[in-house]
Amino acid sequence: MESGLSSLLSVSIDFETSHLFFPKVINWLMAGLFVLILVTKVAPFMAAVKRGERTLPIVGEARDNFRFFGTLALIAAYFYLMAVVGNMFPYTGYGFLIVSIVFLFLMSLLYLHDWRKKTITILVINAIVAPSLAWFILAKLFTITLP
Amino acid sequence: MLMGYMEGLGLVFQFGTLLAIAGGTFLGIIMGVLPGLTSAMAIALLLPVTFGMPPVMGIGMLLGTLCGAGASGSIPAILLNIPGTPSSVATTFDGFPMAQKGEAGRALGLAIVASFLGGVASMVVLSLLAPPIAEFALRFGAAEYFSLSVFGLVIIASVAGKSLLKGLIAGLIGFFCSTIGTDPIAGVDRFTFGQLSLLTGINLLPALIGLFAVSQVLKDAFDYDPSNKLQNSPHKVDIARPRFLETLRNWRALLVGIVSGSVVGPVPGAGGSIASLVAYDQARRFSKTPEKFGKGHGAGVVSVESANNALLGGALIPTLALGIPGEAATAVLLGGLMIQGVTPGPMLFENQGGIIYGIFLAYLVANFFMLIIMCLGIKLFVRVLLVPRKQLISAIIVFCFIGVYGVDGDVFNLYIMLAFGLLGYFLNRYGFGTAPVILGLILGPIAESNLRRGLQVFGGDWSPFFTRPISVTFLVIAFGLLVLTLWQNYRSRQKEANSAAT
Repeated sequence: MESGLSSLLSVSIDFETSHLFFPKVINWLMAGLFVLILVTKVAPFMAAVKRGERTLPIVGEARDNFRFFGTLALIAAYFYLMAVVGNMFPYTGYGFLIVSIVFLFLMSLLYLHDWRKKTITILVINAIVAPSLAWFILAKLFTITLP
Repeated sequence: MLMGYMEGLGLVFQFGTLLAIAGGTFLGIIMGVLPGLTSAMAIALLLPVTFGMPPVMGIGMLLGTLCGAGASGSIPAILLNIPGTPSSVATTFDGFPMAQKGEAGRALGLAIVASFLGGVASMVVLSLLAPPIAEFALRFGAAEYFSLSVFGLVIIASVAGKSLLKGLIAGLIGFFCSTIGTDPIAGVDRFTFGQLSLLTGINLLPALIGLFAVSQVLKDAFDYDPSNKLQNSPHKVDIARPRFLETLRNWRALLVGIVSGSVVGPVPGAGGSIASLVAYDQARRFSKTPEKFGKGHGAGVVSVESANNALLGGALIPTLALGIPGEAATAVLLGGLMIQGVTPGPMLFENQGGIIYGIFLAYLVANFFMLIIMCLGIKLFVRVLLVPRKQLISAIIVFCFIGVYGVDGDVFNLYIMLAFGLLGYFLNRYGFGTAPVILGLILGPIAESNLRRGLQVFGGDWSPFFTRPISVTFLVIAFGLLVLTLWQNYRSRQKEANSAAT
């Protein structure tokens, strides 16, 4: 029955695998575009790297590694510890308050350049005041759940 | 329709709603002043505050943010020659020379009034055009919705990334992420890896905040340069008086700005920087004194700023009527609407008329607040620029956290946010753009469920997608746009090669 034009015009999808139909289409499209970008962009770029005109991204770049990975690590630790500390004082938002103060202080230290007493004092005040204010407005006034 | 407006009036003119709109506008203005912090990010950060509010109040607050951020980019552009938002780049052309001539107050007054008039005009355009478009969209079936979502993705891919290919890849990444979770038709889990939190799919909010806010924070952390300190503006402006008469005297520039903003606005993905540059260019062409442009001419500021805010109303048309956002900020706003239980699209006009007219009116009110707050608070907003970047970075992370955690108290979403932040950072860095990913996430479920439903309805025959008139129109336009973008890229590359050769 399925022959010629009509088989070209129709698709039949098995119910067992129907949930994978759309992702499969997307994956094939992505694979196609990926190959295209490999050919049109990455290949000339790699050739330029070989000739020494360009440097590899990420690996060959000058970068402030300490700050970049420090920021990432701090953010991840912030999220993780928030839940841990929050479980010690459930439903009060203290977990958020305490961990945020520490997080803000450490983040500011990470980006600090002049280690004078005055700048550090400003950091400490900022680290304490800002989360407290946010905690008060959000947890108390807007009753948003915080850990 | 009159009944709808009456109902909307009742929803907007309540003390709490007005306060929320004013607060949103204020925060939007602050975000707009700071370079690198966009209105999309401002809305994403404010979303959690709106959860507990009724729809019009919450959405009014977000619209206020949109409106404030759209207008306030002009303040640093005029006073410091630093555009606060991408769309105020063209404001620096005439605004900064005016400030150098000692006319900073006049430039600000013009910019504020032009933004205000542009915003009000675009609200009128929005309220006139959105209902008929929504009514038309009622005729859409599965095939049409599928084609529309393909169309939306192609448009944003062609303008958001540095190249069409990269934009499309970013959009498909969004489509793929949208397939994570429970399958919409058969109810089977996909790509969840046993994670309970992934069963409902990737939530829009952590993805949004990750892509727009966390990625920006990572970029700031990466490009951090301690020697790069902003100087306070040498121009002393205490209060900016609105200059209505002078703005109206530049009616040509004003009209050009409003028209270009309203035309560019509904085009998905076009964005504010395009509208403002088009407006500036056209205003110069229509002007009787084109030679004055670029040397501190008031008309230049008026055209750009009116286009900036006229764009926002235009961008809301497809967002509200079809559920397809015009650019990044409206994509975030769309997420906010859905969280409020307001699903944008044609049915919204049928079922929740009061809310929709309330949204129009809230947008109008937001423009009034923007006018007042900008005029009174100029001094404060200039000072905002002096806040050290490092303190801002960590404070933004704290707010991102609250935003994501506040929704459902699920820690897993925080890691999703971080993952999308990293993804967004690399996408931006290599010119893929983050807006297509968000649009892919929003359109993915529409595309998938309508494609499969359509195939079921047509008995496995896919030709109706190409034979039903509305559906095929969308696909043809999408295809045409692909070809056009490729052709433009080819042309510009040839031009570059030519200029390099000579």
